Amino acid sequence: MRFKADVQNINTFYKLVSALTSIGSICWVRLSLDDIRFTIIPEQGSQVWAVLSINTVFDQYTIVSQADNVINLEIPIGQLTAALKSALNAVAAELRLTKVGNQPILCLKITSLSGSSGTFGSSFNDQFDGDGQTVDLQTTGNTDRTHEINQQIPIRVLSPETVANIHEPRCPDPDVHIQLPNLKALKSISDQFTQIAIRDTVSRSGRQNRPIINFEANMHGCLRLSVVTDPQNISCLWTELSNPELDPTQVEGGEEGIANHPSTIMKQKGSADGKSLEGWASVRIDGKDLSKVLSIGKLSGRVIACVCDKHAIVLYVYLQSEEEEEDSSVLTYYIAHTAG
Amino acid sequence: MVTLNFTLTPGAASRIHDLLLCLSKFSESVQIEARKERLALTALNSSKSAYASFSLLVPDFFSKYEFSSENYNTDGKFTCSILNKALLSVFKGRGFDARGRDTGVDQCEVNVQDRDGQAQCRMIIKMVCNQGVTKTYKLTYESIEIMHALFDKTIAPNSWAISSGALRRFIDYFAVKTEQLDIYSDDNKVHFSAFTEKIMNGKDILKQPLHTSVIANVNEFNRFTAEERRHHIISVRDFRAIVTHADTLRATVSAYYSDPGRPLQFSYNSNGMVCEFTLMTSSDYRGTLTPAPTGPPSRATSATTSAPLDPKQSTAQMPPPAVPARRSRNRNRAPGSSVRPARQSPDPESLFVPDDDEGVWQPVENRGEEDLLGWDASADNDVAFHPTFRDTGSLSHSETLGSEEGIAPTQRLSQIQGALFD
Repeated sequence: MRFKADVQNINTFYKLVSALTSIGSICWVRLSLDDIRFTIIPEQGSQVWAVLSINTVFDQYTIVSQADNVINLEIPIGQLTAALKSALNAVAAELRLTKVGNQPILCLKITSLSGSSGTFGSSFNDQFDGDGQTVDLQTTGNTDRTHEINQQIPIRVLSPETVANIHEPRCPDPDVHIQLPNLKALKSISDQFTQIAIRDTVSRSGRQNRPIINFEANMHGCLRLSVVTDPQNISCLWTELSNPELDPTQVEGGEEGIANHPSTIMKQKGSADGKSLEGWASVRIDGKDLSKVLSIGKLSGRVIACVCDKHAIVLYVYLQSEEEEEDSSVLTYYIAHTAG
Repeated sequence: MVTLNFTLTPGAASRIHDLLLCLSKFSESVQIEARKERLALTALNSSKSAYASFSLLVPDFFSKYEFSSENYNTDGKFTCSILNKALLSVFKGRGFDARGRDTGVDQCEVNVQDRDGQAQCRMIIKMVCNQGVTKTYKLTYESIEIMHALFDKTIAPNSWAISSGALRRFIDYFAVKTEQLDIYSDDNKVHFSAFTEKIMNGKDILKQPLHTSVIANVNEFNRFTAEERRHHIISVRDFRAIVTHADTLRATVSAYYSDPGRPLQFSYNSNGMVCEFTLMTSSDYRGTLTPAPTGPPSRATSATTSAPLDPKQSTAQMPPPAVPARRSRNRNRAPGSSVRPARQSPDPESLFVPDDDEGVWQPVENRGEEDLLGWDASADNDVAFHPTFRDTGSLSHSETLGSEEGIAPTQRLSQIQGALFD
């Protein structure tokens, strides 16, 4: 089993993994020659299944294993984030699978420039008040002014049998699919509503229940977040969002499948001003959970929410990449409906 | 009766705040020692493995300084201890700004009340602010004897100096929960590795913090002379505190050390402040590399000059303290670790430390026997602040045998009188 890769787009990689840390602490990473998959299935709350095309983050890479060149690892995502953070200003970074004793390690080797602009002045003064020899800054070339950082991330290697039983959740065909507004704006509303819901449940029962937020959307470009408490009913409505067309090649049954698709039926109900009571697909979700998911808003990209009425929301976050036109990197979040 | 009055500029008061913050990382209380030519603020940590000291020089640091002690201890010094929290809250005010912006505080006056018969033990700090406001704080101090760690730079063969900015960048890479820092050099590269030693199994292995090594080129240092391929392990927490403070002064940090298991000192000077930190190092990481007989000549020289081969001479030479055996056992932090057999006396012909841990990495266990600093609570070190520590290489091994009586041989028996260690 061998894995070695030069990391590129460190900034994107860092933002991605740091957004994943809000979901859980242990991540299953599947490396193959085509893509890298990050999966976090926490004991409670939403799951995330992310697929990155390998070129998004790796440049030169070697991935060799006896199981069809697929490597499955269990990685503490917090440590990976910390390691990538130290690589943010790096000249080069290389990720490799290695071993220290019997412990498998993912080693991030970072080459970083030593003289950053702010410290040049002080190091210049140091020549005079330090009692050592003078360093001639002119003659020290570029290669000498770098230092190397090795970050060793403890990991576990998973066997193909272990991961064979982990499957992505299956959902019925969505009733509504809608492109979400800017996630940062959505998150700030969701956070406020969560606070209101928490305050309400605490004041009513004296203990903290799960803060419930209603997430509703229709096929006429409307999205509504609402929080219902005893004294108040607050909602926030977005209109004129887009409902992407379904691709006949992707839907079971082709054109006919689309005609019978739940979303086509939903399209006949409701209105574009969001005032109609009909045509809404609605899911009750834990507000804290939603906020965790929406932290992915740090990465810019198109976000499609598929709402299965009273069942789940599936959120597709497409990462924009400069070179490729197609969305080959996508994060999928599964947020379950909360009964009661 | 003691008179101690001094006045600080806002900038100096702000530097006091910074140094108190640094001292707070070592101990809850600050020891203050006033003499005619300087005021020293020091702290020793609870395990007595790290000692921090800031000497504020007269007249550079102070705008006014007055000290006299008549009939006080007869040795011309005043010593006391104050809770750091209390001092920090006095100096914390947002009124200070090192960059010279309008601060609200015009000057800071400190005086000590120690009159015979009154026994007040109060330190009075007056913050004279503009707009005619004066804030007065009265802090109670405890009059105590202070122990200082002594370290003789001149016989530490390894030394280097580097800008605090560079070290600051290095510590930023270290993971939050790491505990130990290994300093190691090889092939013109210097490795700073931060790691945690906890051994974890199964799923817990993923909770282990990152192991971070920063590898810097020797030419990033202002000066670098150190024996290669030896591991010196100190605490990340101490190192972080030191570097963070040094960086506030943009100082050049110098390090002096000899063998692993012997003290290491970081020092830097700035604006009439001499900052020195003496830390205990623990022995070789992994212990695989015995000291090569081809070590740098400086080390061999220091060993010959400072380590008498006849152990009988050692009391006169005041070698570093051997730790009483009962205390060293307490310091063995690894639970369930076996007590190591007593060391053999080194070959009297050899100048070099025998490495009896060959092939085994036991940094924690190794800490026990030599892990304490040397003190000198006596008064006869007026000339220099830390003049008498003998960093006598191999000698300590023979000394550790049979030193059950619990008195550190840094001190002459006549000075001890059973007060410090019992």
